[in-house]
Amino acid sequence: MKSEKWEIGGKSLSSRLLIGSALYPSPANMEDAIKISGAQIVTVSLRRQAAGGNDGAGGNAFWEIIKSMGIEVLPNTAGSHSAKEAITTAQMAREVFGTNWIKLEVIGDQYNLQPDPFETVKAAEVLIKEGFEVFPYTTDDLVVAKRLADVGCKIIMPWGSMIGSGKGLMNPDNLLAIRKQFPDLQLVVDAGIGKPSHATQAMELGYDGVLLNSAIALAQDPVMMADAFRVAVVAGRLGYEAGVMKEREFASPSTPTVGTPFWHQFT
Amino acid sequence: MIKVSVNGEVKEIAEGLNIHQLIEALDYRIKGFAVAINTTFVPIDSYDKTVVEDGDLIDILAPVQGG
Repeated sequence: MKSEKWEIGGKSLSSRLLIGSALYPSPANMEDAIKISGAQIVTVSLRRQAAGGNDGAGGNAFWEIIKSMGIEVLPNTAGSHSAKEAITTAQMAREVFGTNWIKLEVIGDQYNLQPDPFETVKAAEVLIKEGFEVFPYTTDDLVVAKRLADVGCKIIMPWGSMIGSGKGLMNPDNLLAIRKQFPDLQLVVDAGIGKPSHATQAMELGYDGVLLNSAIALAQDPVMMADAFRVAVVAGRLGYEAGVMKEREFASPSTPTVGTPFWHQFT
Repeated sequence: MIKVSVNGEVKEIAEGLNIHQLIEALDYRIKGFAVAINTTFVPIDSYDKTVVEDGDLIDILAPVQGG
């Protein structure tokens, strides 16, 4: 089996599933789901909080759990609406989380949470110069991907569809075009994944990984769904590496036609 | 006294406080946070020399779940 290890952001990992830490029914459920998913990268964020912490004594149960799990954290800049806000959030995240990884997220439209490509590219350029490993969340637009690559992004994370929509891959052809154009970049489908087959589809396109949160956290049984996604990602990657057959415009029997019974030629 | 906004809430604090002193004055106890003033990041090693001024917009951010 070939798909054992892959490299992203300078780390060698075995799981190609990146998972969010939000929206779970409880911190314990989040922990169980992350564990069973096999994910080695978990996204986190920064927000204003009450001065006493969530236990009133300065503690932060969620963060203590994540720290104890020994996995890579990928802080995001969620909520940013400009390059300036995203850059400041990234700088704060680097100090708090002790990593130069940043999931760059600059929202351009509040209704569909579509990333702002102009501000995203601007922020990516600054952050890369400041030594960040930028994981930019972007649309499935090939030209935006080019601009991000031009400013030094080694990783690009096009959306499958709107954040939290669960609609899957809206434009697989666009995603494929990005994959073909950038065979050497690490490509991760981020956002819009709703069910395991969506993750499999993304991996079959040759994507290096998938990042999702709601599909697991909002499932009836998040822990079981995390296990389903673990399997789905592995299946998709193996399928890609095995080489998918070419589609045909005609039927072609798989059972041999030679020796078909009950056929007799009289003339 | 001066007026500043801390995490969106207007507070009256003594004049001349640096960031360390501000954190103490606010009784902010969360372990692991970062500070921005007027949307510009203030690194932890600059807390002592950064004095809060009247009208400053101060954000103190801590880890939360994220997607």
